[in-house]
Amino acid sequence: MQLSDRFTVSNDVVAREVGGEMVLLDLESGQYFGLDKVGGRVWELLSERPQDLAELCDQIETEFDAPREVIEADILKLAAHLLDQALICTAQLKSEAG
Amino acid sequence: MDWKPEQPRKQADLSTKPYDQWVTLQGYCQAEFHRTKDGYLIRFPGQADFLIESAATPGEYIILGWPTPECDPATVINLRHNAIEPVLGNHLGGLFLHGSAVSVTSNIAGNSAIAFLGHSRGGKTTLAGSFAKAGHPFLTEDVIDLVRDGADYRLKPKRSKLRLFADSARHLLGQDTQFENEDAKQDVEAGNALPFAAEPVPLRQIYLLGEDHSAPLSIRQLSMQEALQNLMKHAFLLDVEDKPRLQAHFARLADLSQDIACFALDFTRQYEELPRVMTAILDNGRDR
Repeated sequence: MQLSDRFTVSNDVVAREVGGEMVLLDLESGQYFGLDKVGGRVWELLSERPQDLAELCDQIETEFDAPREVIEADILKLAAHLLDQALICTAQLKSEAG
Repeated sequence: MDWKPEQPRKQADLSTKPYDQWVTLQGYCQAEFHRTKDGYLIRFPGQADFLIESAATPGEYIILGWPTPECDPATVINLRHNAIEPVLGNHLGGLFLHGSAVSVTSNIAGNSAIAFLGHSRGGKTTLAGSFAKAGHPFLTEDVIDLVRDGADYRLKPKRSKLRLFADSARHLLGQDTQFENEDAKQDVEAGNALPFAAEPVPLRQIYLLGEDHSAPLSIRQLSMQEALQNLMKHAFLLDVEDKPRLQAHFARLADLSQDIACFALDFTRQYEELPRVMTAILDNGRDR
């Protein structure tokens, strides 16, 4: 996975912030997932529009006090986990999608 | 509402595959959900078919129900009250959950409701009946119907009867209680021995009944996230493929999980345990 990879949230997931944590329900599997504050913010950003991980890192860097390399590592790890659980999927650029 | 079932008919094979099923913990299919041209057909195998279709007025639905020839009329009416109305209610933006509830009184809070959510045959009705027998009237035995008012939720009373198996009825009403069928649940009307609360009361606590029926008595407060996950298990959903409605219902339950304290309740399902369970629940309410 690379920072230039672009993702969007799955249509089969509903999400809601509860008690400061984002709770995701995968409608296909019936499984629940919890995301911490940064993970929840990443989910919100991806829900707004498809974007690549570098863009996500840019936004998170402006909102959270952490070194860029830590943010990049955490977001790569989070995206890999979300993709592995089919909670997000790869998104093409509009120009690529034609 | 004056609703009557249609004439009994056999359950013919359906040409559609169900898009959803209600399956018990034991693997028994309680209900199948099929799409029709203008709505939904819900089949309760061996019991009844219900058709929910759009009415001429936008946002309204017509409910028709056909019992099987073997199904008694009371069962069909119960299915309508305890399954069809809540799934449709949630579909239309309501907040219905599968559970029983009782009204308790305290000097500080006045009358408030305690709800018990759990799977079928999990002890919800017997627990509500035990509270009623002890002087805390029951509000509902199978369907929690909530109306939100800000951060408050008023729990509406439903039918003034409990559906009980013979052994539970005898525990609550005495060993000489007569039952037509020892193996089936029957309606037991509210009365002096089992009082009913006929007015809505604010919901104060929700207890989620554990699935281990031999577990020792314990009460544990759930985190909001845990509560949401558990509340979803007891929601009545008509169309699990309607994502916007599901998202909206998920949001309503998320609000509920943040506004109302939810607890995991375990206890051994033995009648002699019930007084201890009730005391623990009432003490837990007093402590908060």
